[in-house]
Amino acid sequence: MRLSPSFNRSLWVFHFNSGSCNGCDIEIVCALTPRYDPERFGIKLVGSPRHADVLLVTGPVVHDMADRLRRVYAQMPNPKVVMCIGTCGQSGGVFFDSYNLDGPVGDVIPVDIYVPGCAPRPEAIIDGVVKAIALLERLEEKK
Amino acid sequence: MSNKPVYTIPIGPIHPALKEPILFTFDIQGEVINAVDFAPGKVHRGVEWMGMRRNPVQIVHLCDRICGICGVSHTLAFARAVEQIAEIEVPERAHYVRSIIAEFERIQSHLLWAGVAAHELGFDTLFHLAWRVREEAMDVIEYLTGNRINYGIVQVGGVRRDFTEDQFPRIRKALETYEGLVNKLVTLFLEDTTIKLRCMNTGVLTEKDALELCTVGPTARASGLKMDVRADAPYAAYGDIDVKAILPDVYADCIKGDVYDRIVVRLFEVVDSVRIIRDLMDQMPAWPVLWETRYAKILSTCKKAEGEAIGRVEAPRGECFHYVRMNGSEAPQQWKVKASTYSNQMSWLKILQGEQIADIPIIVASIDPCMSCTDRVTVIRDGSPDVMTKDTLHRLSVEKTRRLQA
Amino acid sequence: MTRQALSAEQIAETLQKTGPKSIKDVKIKTWTEGQKKTPVASIWLRTTGESLIATIRAVIDIDYPHLSVISGVDTGDVVELLYHMQVFHGMPGAEVNITISVPVPKKNLVIPTISHLIPGAVYTEREKQEMLGVTVAGIPDPRGLFLPADFPKGVFPWRKDETGIPEGMVKSLYASGRPEDRPLPFVKPKEKMVKKSEVCAVDAVAPSEPDTADASQPEVTTHVE
Repeated sequence: MRLSPSFNRSLWVFHFNSGSCNGCDIEIVCALTPRYDPERFGIKLVGSPRHADVLLVTGPVVHDMADRLRRVYAQMPNPKVVMCIGTCGQSGGVFFDSYNLDGPVGDVIPVDIYVPGCAPRPEAIIDGVVKAIALLERLEEKK
Repeated sequence: MSNKPVYTIPIGPIHPALKEPILFTFDIQGEVINAVDFAPGKVHRGVEWMGMRRNPVQIVHLCDRICGICGVSHTLAFARAVEQIAEIEVPERAHYVRSIIAEFERIQSHLLWAGVAAHELGFDTLFHLAWRVREEAMDVIEYLTGNRINYGIVQVGGVRRDFTEDQFPRIRKALETYEGLVNKLVTLFLEDTTIKLRCMNTGVLTEKDALELCTVGPTARASGLKMDVRADAPYAAYGDIDVKAILPDVYADCIKGDVYDRIVVRLFEVVDSVRIIRDLMDQMPAWPVLWETRYAKILSTCKKAEGEAIGRVEAPRGECFHYVRMNGSEAPQQWKVKASTYSNQMSWLKILQGEQIADIPIIVASIDPCMSCTDRVTVIRDGSPDVMTKDTLHRLSVEKTRRLQA
Repeated sequence: MTRQALSAEQIAETLQKTGPKSIKDVKIKTWTEGQKKTPVASIWLRTTGESLIATIRAVIDIDYPHLSVISGVDTGDVVELLYHMQVFHGMPGAEVNITISVPVPKKNLVIPTISHLIPGAVYTEREKQEMLGVTVAGIPDPRGLFLPADFPKGVFPWRKDETGIPEGMVKSLYASGRPEDRPLPFVKPKEKMVKKSEVCAVDAVAPSEPDTADASQPEVTTHVE
């Protein structure tokens, strides 16, 4: 089954920085600018998690942000997909042994798609979003 | 005026930045900001503490990832400090490679900022344009270093990769692109009525305040403080060429220290960077680029080194400062990183005072705090908080632009 | 006011003459880089906590400094605070970096604030309070800065003694493994093997491997060969 018409050409993405170095965040914005231009497919960065279908998490989850990440996740409507962008959210990367980290992201909220790289290229991020669409289709199917 | 109640608005902290992730608290009377406070530390990863458990060769990679935008500045500052302690003579060509990458980084960072500033004003066309133009610098950086972000080119004792002669045409092509774009960018950013309306006389920082609050970089220069590490205390290859601090009077008649002046400084720094890269390429000395190719030798030299030193670098946002003390063990005894925004944050308290809520996004962004900040806002009205998203704040900003245009 | 740049030697001399008596160990270091070997000088000196204010005043009399940052080192019995500042900034080639080192004994970790002389110093003084446990007397804003609100009291990340970060606080992110309370990732239903002979030939070494790898790994964006 395809996605329900409400998803058609309107996949909205919310970006949450949990303490990354800004590298992934810049690449996420890069992926939305004219060179790649996914907005023609309706993929759009939104300012509130309540509007979002996909949550992009970057960074190794700093202690202060762990609770906020859980709250943002809870605010998102179902069906939702979580993408973890960058190596530090998966294994810590270079920040593997700090005193102020609660990560990796997978320990805090369930992650569906990992995009490795430090920082991943915009193409990789877009590829991840395409996988997120496939996952949303499967979630819709189950309903 | 005085009978209006004072509201407290916290903004943040969902905010993408390095050490300057932020929870703002504004005391608002009507539309006017009475007082400002901020609490950073929401993205504190303890980088310095981690560094004190690792050796300099490992720290270089940690440095790259302190900030994803000024990736080369931190590494360069750290490498310079270690080189001074261990008295490592860096080959001359390495200085040039370092400087060229640093200048390309300045170009991409300033264009990134210009786009973000335009977005904060509700001028998204300009945002997309600036970011499209920025891709040219990113391409060159990738062509030269192999990475778009976290270049990993600088290391203790030199650089990891050399530029070859056949790479120069590609660099020159990028420089020509930017030279051709200069007039367009200046027209779009500096002669636009909307930008003039919103940015002139907004968020003013006087020269005295700029000095007393220890601001650095374009923020300080826009207030008339002639301060640029590249010119004042030349490092890498900057001593060999002519570098001058760019003040807003290159374009405007007088220096006001407002948001508009900060745009002027950054745009003309892009122009200057192009010239600097050309000058550097014209006089590049010959091979080699690395003092020592064996890691074991670098490590053992660092291990024997004792002493303290500082490495200062003019990052796109201002002075980037690293203090390192080695005491003959593998890891440094102390490592202190001072990013440029660290110095600039205090100026927010001054420049936001007396401004309107709708001006918060552009003023906060005007010092280039690694990224725009206002992701999510909670407004507390009569004690019951209701949530104000970045969209709402952004909308307020856009509405103000429309009002001014009408 | 026109500023007349002084050389590093002249600054050091003036500081010793006009500054407090406690200034000692004055060292001048120069470092050169580039083809032209442009020299950049820095002055390193030591003073005591009591005469810190007088030393900073002596620097201000020479030229209003631009304070970079205050850093600190735990050297055992004392915490050494280092005040890094530049004079004659904005004068190409004439800028001199001055580092004022102040030892503060751990028995009495108090240092006066310099924020009445340099207002921007508050920020970095706040950081020293929480990172090294130094009390800055007279600081206008004593709150914490970077550490979270629920950070344990009496732990100071930059200290090397028992008040430093205990090993138990360190989380090794790489060792956390896969959470167990989550459903297994989606595995693509097997497609019927038609005309896959060429592909199989490549994978012939371990024909069952791709399936097991799929089952235990979350979906990643790396392309499957």
